Amino acid sequence: MDLPAGTRNYSYSEDVTIFRTGTQKFLLAVLILVLLTAPIWFGGYWLTVANLIGITIISVTGLNILTGYCGQLSIGHAGFMSVGAYTSAILTSRFGVPFLAALLCAGFLAGAVGMIFGIPSLRVKGFYLAISTIAAQFIIIWVAKHWTLTGGAAGMEVMPASILGFEIKTPTEKYYLVLAITIIAIFVAKNIVRTRVGRAFVAIRDNDLAAEVMGINLFRYKLTAFFIGCFYAGIAGSLLAHISFSTSADYFPFLDSVLFVGMIIIGGLGTTLGPILGALAIRLLDVLVTKLSPTLQSAFPNLPPGFTSGIAPLLFGLAIILFLLFEPRGLAHRWTIFKSAYRLWPFSY
Amino acid sequence: MAELLQYVITGVTIGMVYSLIALCFVVVWKSSGVANLALGQIVLLSSWFAYAMLVQAGLPPWLGLPLVIVFALLLGWVIERVVLRPLIAQPILSLITVTLGLGYFIQGLVGVIWPQSLVPFPALFPKEPVHIGTAVVTQEYLWAAVISLLLFGLLSLYYRYNKMGIAMRAAADDQKAVQACGIPVTRIFSRSWMFSCVLAAISGVLVASIAGSVGTSLVSTGLLAFSVVILGGLDSFLGAIVAGPIVGLVEIVGSGYLTPLTWPEVKEVIPFVIIVIVMFIKPYGLFGETRIERI
Repeated sequence: MDLPAGTRNYSYSEDVTIFRTGTQKFLLAVLILVLLTAPIWFGGYWLTVANLIGITIISVTGLNILTGYCGQLSIGHAGFMSVGAYTSAILTSRFGVPFLAALLCAGFLAGAVGMIFGIPSLRVKGFYLAISTIAAQFIIIWVAKHWTLTGGAAGMEVMPASILGFEIKTPTEKYYLVLAITIIAIFVAKNIVRTRVGRAFVAIRDNDLAAEVMGINLFRYKLTAFFIGCFYAGIAGSLLAHISFSTSADYFPFLDSVLFVGMIIIGGLGTTLGPILGALAIRLLDVLVTKLSPTLQSAFPNLPPGFTSGIAPLLFGLAIILFLLFEPRGLAHRWTIFKSAYRLWPFSY
Repeated sequence: MAELLQYVITGVTIGMVYSLIALCFVVVWKSSGVANLALGQIVLLSSWFAYAMLVQAGLPPWLGLPLVIVFALLLGWVIERVVLRPLIAQPILSLITVTLGLGYFIQGLVGVIWPQSLVPFPALFPKEPVHIGTAVVTQEYLWAAVISLLLFGLLSLYYRYNKMGIAMRAAADDQKAVQACGIPVTRIFSRSWMFSCVLAAISGVLVASIAGSVGTSLVSTGLLAFSVVILGGLDSFLGAIVAGPIVGLVEIVGSGYLTPLTWPEVKEVIPFVIIVIVMFIKPYGLFGETRIERI
């Protein structure tokens, strides 16, 4: 159901094209136009939200490669993000490394740290791996809080990102930076999972014994998955640091790690669209709850003051549970169903 | 030397409380193979409920605490029936993430009902400290240690001699075979969750009573218990009861001697370092069953 009725692929290049038909290309052009002109009709607040969503999408896309495609659960992704954030912050402010180089270094270091904590994945899986990534999260955050190099609990100031002497300071400039990197990240992720490496990941996820028998080096590919997933987290963390001009251990709580897993569940595991939809859904829900909180507080005066702080986690938890129970393939699957329905309308199949 | 004795005794008694929380985990894992990552939040919820009973409603302990137990039984039943039953035979990834979602949900629920971050909790045990040699231990810790040993004994006996307990062990081994023998697997799951929640409630009340307060820090106490189960082995009661004091001991002795050398909060990270070390050296723990994969 990937293609509209009547579209046929006659050559390999047609087969691997992502945007195949004229309608798809048109819609893509509209989307890009909308995204590029967004600062004109978004207010400052929504631009900030959009930046956060973009960064979340990058991080969750990485987690999706690791968990959705390779099947290795990581509940420490916020921790790996913090590695990227601190690396980039230290490199730019203490050593004067240019932003783009620092961004890449952040990705590589986060990937390396992720690989270290991914080593147990060769011997253990499932819950054991989940626990060791939780441990990674707490150890990384603890180190960040206590090491003098990382500024301790107070965190550290981060210089604005500058590319070839151009400093990125206003929300609009930040938006374009995040947008560009998000698009690159999604594009690369989409292509990684279509290569030999990506197919190896899927084989490992579906049945690791069978994959090994087929000649896939489990250790190497699992570590590669950890590296790629955490590389994305590092990039996202670095961006977050340069956009908020500061970084501290509080930016990367354990609950965010859980939330990232929730996002790929809600969006749809093992799809390119999943992380985007999941991150959008959760972040917008968060904004909605924040906006509604004062209203709710005055609407229910009988409830204890401050009860609205619990609403967001309540809804997130509920969303994760409900999606797992009723739509384990996530919003991406719903979107596919919707697409095939409107293509075939008015016939049911 | 005097301080070492003090550290050892404090560590072991604190560790017994960790053991108790670890037992909640093992009970569920042993019979249904579900890793309960919402453990800390269940402990949190039940101790808040205890706070509501004992302080907000002002009930005496002999009435309030049994109500907490009843609440825990209900909680376990509801969790199993609503959240985990539909996911039987689903991939392990779903089972793990659903408990994460559950934990998030419970934390939100607690935030909605009791938005206060920290409230005082009445002490349930006499406060006078006990002197062992040169060391001083508060009586509460000793009571907690006794209670967790007692519960460990009861659970071990139950799993060894009671028909249902034997069925639970069998279910952990092979669900299909157990079902074929005519044993209701769903009832086993339901019962193990109820047991687990009762244990969580007991440990929640104990921890709250020892700390003298109820607050979100209980969640991290629940996380500490993971290092106990990992060290002891996921499916072993003995592992939990042995590893708890070890973790407590390493935590207290380690922080006692390392704090002057390094940082003041070195205590927080020790359990997680233990997890990583165990994961690299002996991933199935001290007493856990090593899984051998056959094709």
